[in-house]
Amino acid sequence: MRNDTEKFTKKRIRFLGWGFFLIFMIIGGKAFYYQVVISQWLSEKALRQYEREFVYSGKRGAILDASGRHLAVSIDAESVGVHPKQIKNAAMTAKILSDALNISQKELIARFSSEKRPFIWVKRKVTPKEVSLVKAFNLPGVVFKSEHKRYYPNKFLASQVLGFVDIDNRGLAGIELTYDEVLKGYQDSIKVRRDALGHSFESEGTIVPDYNGNTLVLTIDAMIQYSAEKALEFAVTEFGAKSGMVLVSSPRTGDILAMAHYPAYNLNSHSDYDKNLWRARSVTDPFEPGSTMKIFSAAAAIDSGLCKPQTEFYCENGAYRVGSNTVHDTHAYGTLTLQEIVKYSSNIGAIKIGQFIGEETLYNTLRRFGFGEKTGLALSGESSGTLAHFRKWRKIDAGTIAFGQGVSVSAVQMIAATGALANGGALMKPQLIKAIVDPDGKIVQEFKPVRIRQACSPNTAATIRQMMKEVITTGGTGTNAAMEGYTVCGKTGTAQKIVNGAYARGKYVSSFIGFLPADRAEAVIMVIIDEPAKRHYGGTVAAPAFKKIALEMMGYLNIPPEHMNNRFTVSLGSEVEG
Amino acid sequence: MFDRRLIQYFDWGLAAITAALIASGLSTLYSATRADQINPQNLIFYRQMIWYGIGLGVMIVSFLFSYRKVDHYAYGCYWLCILLLIAVLLFGRYVAGSRRWLILGPISIQPSEVMKLGIIILLSRYYSRIGTVHGLIFRDLVIPILLISIPCLLIVLQPDLGTAIMILLIAGSMTIFTGIEKKTLIYLLVFGAGACPVAWHFLKGYQKQRILTFLTSDSDPLGAGYHIIQSKIAIGSGQLFGKGFMKGTQNALSFLPEQHTDFIFSVLAEDWGFWGSVGVLLLLLLIVVWGLNIAHGCREPFGVLMAFGISTLIFWEVVINIGMVMGLMPVVGIPLPFISYGGSAVVLMMTSVGLLLNISMRRFMFE
Repeated sequence: MRNDTEKFTKKRIRFLGWGFFLIFMIIGGKAFYYQVVISQWLSEKALRQYEREFVYSGKRGAILDASGRHLAVSIDAESVGVHPKQIKNAAMTAKILSDALNISQKELIARFSSEKRPFIWVKRKVTPKEVSLVKAFNLPGVVFKSEHKRYYPNKFLASQVLGFVDIDNRGLAGIELTYDEVLKGYQDSIKVRRDALGHSFESEGTIVPDYNGNTLVLTIDAMIQYSAEKALEFAVTEFGAKSGMVLVSSPRTGDILAMAHYPAYNLNSHSDYDKNLWRARSVTDPFEPGSTMKIFSAAAAIDSGLCKPQTEFYCENGAYRVGSNTVHDTHAYGTLTLQEIVKYSSNIGAIKIGQFIGEETLYNTLRRFGFGEKTGLALSGESSGTLAHFRKWRKIDAGTIAFGQGVSVSAVQMIAATGALANGGALMKPQLIKAIVDPDGKIVQEFKPVRIRQACSPNTAATIRQMMKEVITTGGTGTNAAMEGYTVCGKTGTAQKIVNGAYARGKYVSSFIGFLPADRAEAVIMVIIDEPAKRHYGGTVAAPAFKKIALEMMGYLNIPPEHMNNRFTVSLGSEVEG
Repeated sequence: MFDRRLIQYFDWGLAAITAALIASGLSTLYSATRADQINPQNLIFYRQMIWYGIGLGVMIVSFLFSYRKVDHYAYGCYWLCILLLIAVLLFGRYVAGSRRWLILGPISIQPSEVMKLGIIILLSRYYSRIGTVHGLIFRDLVIPILLISIPCLLIVLQPDLGTAIMILLIAGSMTIFTGIEKKTLIYLLVFGAGACPVAWHFLKGYQKQRILTFLTSDSDPLGAGYHIIQSKIAIGSGQLFGKGFMKGTQNALSFLPEQHTDFIFSVLAEDWGFWGSVGVLLLLLLIVVWGLNIAHGCREPFGVLMAFGISTLIFWEVVINIGMVMGLMPVVGIPLPFISYGGSAVVLMMTSVGLLLNISMRRFMFE
């Protein structure tokens, strides 16, 4: 009996031994599966868990005006984030953060508990002062990251030119966008080990590089820009206009000294403003220039040798039928010389000039002055305007284009072309950027003046300047731009606006373009007022602003008056037409 | 009085296996608690050393006297364990929603661990008195079932389902090993199957969740399935040869949960790779088989049953723990013998080894 039991027991033990062995084999097989068969996949999963890439960015370069004034700077800012799992006392942490950073406490607590990510931002780019309050508490789980914040010290100044950046300091508009590559700080990343609670361990031997971006020096002069913006704002408000722009350039170099748009927006809070205010309309939005175009038609007439300033044209006593339309002059004129046509701004006279010199001559001259092509200014979305090839012109086009309707231009094209007349006929490339300077202060690239081509002969330019001087004298349309001490060359413009494909009644673009001192010009100034409600003649609406800016500029640039006691023949402030 | 054969028959093999297991256990624990640079848990390693010191003493005591004395005091042991279990329900320390520890001065003990050995001793005594070739019939089983139910119920009340299941498994293994009459076995199985849905009803929410998580592994990576997924990643990323001692990233960077207790095998697998896991697995298998061999060599039913019971105890703990760590089983809190941190478990294992040595070295007495 006892032997039987023993045998029976031993058999069972041996049997169970094999069973146990088998089950261990299964476990070993599973280990083989994990550690050999799919180990590569699991290793990658592990790597993804503990390795994090940390991106360090250098500081974005500043934007300076021509005299080194700061227009856009990067300031140190701190961002506050939390590792929710590391927080010890959620209620207290939320209370301190909400008090210091002005965020809802309830919302914070909700985010702490609901977020499954190991790290969340609480608030980005706050001032070091706000953060110092939080830092003093030394809360577990709350971390700070130094970042750079873009700041525009002059807020509204040159807003459409400068543009702005996003939260990660990438340029989104204006110069910030077109020169993003130059301005941006280089980024470098290092691999960092991170534990389950979000603590990071920097790997040995990693140096955090600090590659700052280059500084950009603009041709814009903040003082002139400011003066232009003030005068523009005044003019727009005074005449109840929709908007306006002012360009100021240096005729010899093509440098844009001011580019003002009204209304402007605060660069430090761009998102609070209408998107339509963001773009530099003087570059992106073409318009029909109206009578300012007549100086180029006149240039075409003179430069072709077909006309002299004294060449006479019959002006049909104020009404002239072209095709199915009748063109009117503001006053009925009989016979006018070419010079008088410019001075009084006769549309019929301009048509006659256009018809007399022919489509091809007009077209070629306008092309030489840069109309119909982009200037290549450093702002995105530049328009080339519309100047159709003369072979595609309708019968009336030569006439209407000659007085600035049926053709569209950008303000930048217009100021560059006018600059050519002030510069002996040489068309200069408009430029916004003067130089690129690296973080050590070394000049990386300097933008020298670029002469595009000779738009007309120096003699022609001198002749047109003479005509433009006449515009400012008694009887001319631009008398409001006349000023003591300086001879001004100018031309008024009052263009009817096209709305839905037809010229709209009562909607005008009033402009004045001119330069001074007349024969050794230092500045070309263009004022464009869009849809003034109270008055609409360029000589009334835009010329006073031109004068205001011009006078301030001459003082600022220390340009001595040419003549002190010139007789003033024009009564200021009178209504003049053109 | 002293028999020279005791030294002659001393089981050096078992002692060597045990020493190897303790060595790998302590080194793994060192890695598990000290690789973390932010919160190194230095104390745990030293505590475990002290527990092994105590365990060594208890082990020596356990083989110095004849294990036949255990037979004699079996019921006493059992009721003492029951008393401890009642005491823990009344005075135990409340940790994370359950009362499992009894504080006795500077040390805290886990009576449910001690009960595992208590039940082995009790059943060894009970079944060794029956001795049948036809198998146990229902009448034989009434008392064991009663005696098993009392501690199981007390442990479930803590609540500590894992240990209760462990005791049922050991008791079941020993009962089946003794042999059950066919008809009785079928009745028991049918009754057990019927009890399952009822038991499910009594499970707590987190326990149900663990079982469901096991059944649908990757469904909720940040919730209940997190432990298992992290464990798999740690084991798998150890690859063939491991990342090296204390070099395991998942352990050091705190991705592994419970890395010094229930999930310590993952630390080992990550540090030492497939060969390390297989090596330790083989050591564990060896000690189980060694225990079975002692049962095989013993000529006296109480010793056979006790050696067998201890072997199955080690076997089930290893299988459940590593099975859980590898996602083969639901998550239940069972420590890995010799490797996991835990004073009561260490002393229990050392006592068990002591008893195995005891049976092994006294096998000549019945020749």
